[in-house]
Amino acid sequence: MKTKIFLVLLAAGVLCAVQPARAHHAFAAEYDPAKPVTLNGIVTRMEWANPHGWIYMDTKEPNGAVKHWMIETAAPSQLSRHGLKKADFTDGMTAVVKGYQGKTDPGLANGRTLVLKDGRSFYIGSVGGPNDGAEPQ
Amino acid sequence: MLSLVPTFAWLEALGWTTALRESPYGYPLIETSHVASIVAFAGLVFMMDLRLVNLAFTSAPLAQFQRRLFPWQMASFVPSTATGILLFCVDPLRYYRNVLFLAKLVFLALAGLNALAFHLKTYRRAEGWDEDPEIIATARLAGAASLLLWSLTIVSSRLIPNNWFK
Amino acid sequence: MLLPFFEWCDGLAISQAYRDSTYLFPLTQALHLLAVTVFVGAIVIGDLRMLGWGPVGQSRASIARSAQRILLWAGLAVLVTGIPQFTTNALTYHRSWLFVLKMYLLAAALLFTVTVRHRVAVADEGRLPSWVPNAVGAVSLTLWIGVTISGRLITYYG
Repeated sequence: MKTKIFLVLLAAGVLCAVQPARAHHAFAAEYDPAKPVTLNGIVTRMEWANPHGWIYMDTKEPNGAVKHWMIETAAPSQLSRHGLKKADFTDGMTAVVKGYQGKTDPGLANGRTLVLKDGRSFYIGSVGGPNDGAEPQ
Repeated sequence: MLSLVPTFAWLEALGWTTALRESPYGYPLIETSHVASIVAFAGLVFMMDLRLVNLAFTSAPLAQFQRRLFPWQMASFVPSTATGILLFCVDPLRYYRNVLFLAKLVFLALAGLNALAFHLKTYRRAEGWDEDPEIIATARLAGAASLLLWSLTIVSSRLIPNNWFK
Repeated sequence: MLLPFFEWCDGLAISQAYRDSTYLFPLTQALHLLAVTVFVGAIVIGDLRMLGWGPVGQSRASIARSAQRILLWAGLAVLVTGIPQFTTNALTYHRSWLFVLKMYLLAAALLFTVTVRHRVAVADEGRLPSWVPNAVGAVSLTLWIGVTISGRLITYYG
């Protein structure tokens, strides 16, 4: 019985050894690091929330259609640390978000950088995202 | 069948749940306490289960082992449940719509029922149920079921944030 | 500090290989949590005993020896599921003060567990004045709780 348990643990361990994981949840489980996006549009709503914030944004496709985006941000404690405030958001304001698109949901994105209309730029990424230099050193 | 959605929407909009959802300190504190108390609780449950299935602590008298661990298990179960409820209240609709969260609740309920059934069976005999073969067989079964059900509870919980299966 | 090591980890073929994975690595996280739970359970039961609480039917040494086997297997599982988590995000963690804190606490906890705690846990009852196992149990709990907490807080303040 002990041998069996050891073998199961070992197998699980070996299996896991070829997989990554993250402090909170896996970036790569939901988002595609090979699909960076730059979204220039209107913020319809911002949920300033734990464990993640969500920016709801409408962008215009080349054919004129409106696309709805749901962009994940870091927690309030992290956003504040990088200088952002809940009051920086108003429904209907324009903004630019750089991030990565969802793997299975094309309307989902993981936000990395936010640029407000007044030109101020903020890092909004969660811990454990891709090492793309967006995070301030 | 009454829909729970309006109730959850109301809950989400309350002042204190909103404050908690937006807090830089409160929410991290509650989430961290939730994880820490669950690890302590489930860790002790796993130790007891290993005794029940006779894989570890084999020289410890069964009844006494369980009785002495029980208060510590309860002491960590209470904060883990309380923090869990608070976490749910912060974002009820998102969890309600998450299949993995619902699976977690099912496994949790089954694990609780398994524990209750075992407690009721051994409750009448204060001491010496170590020697009763019927109890020992029940103990093995309850221990194995407990190991499985709490493992499934923990695994499904850890997978909740992934937003799969919308 | 140690940036070249973190860079080396980040650049490993294995780290690169699993940045693509969808299902398997959240499952690693889940198994890691399970392994951590078993590991912490074995620590806590031993620490409770050292504080004079918990199961008393066996000797402290007997509990410790049983727990030790569990610690070894669970510890192995924790390591095997934890290391890939680290190497994939090595450069992100490198910038996190909480991650660094967690690593220092982990090193301290491991060192303490395999040296002082082990000797005290397997010592015969009555050979040591009772404040010694009490203190060791308390320090052990504090260190391991510290590791858990600092790990969880990385997402929020790291």
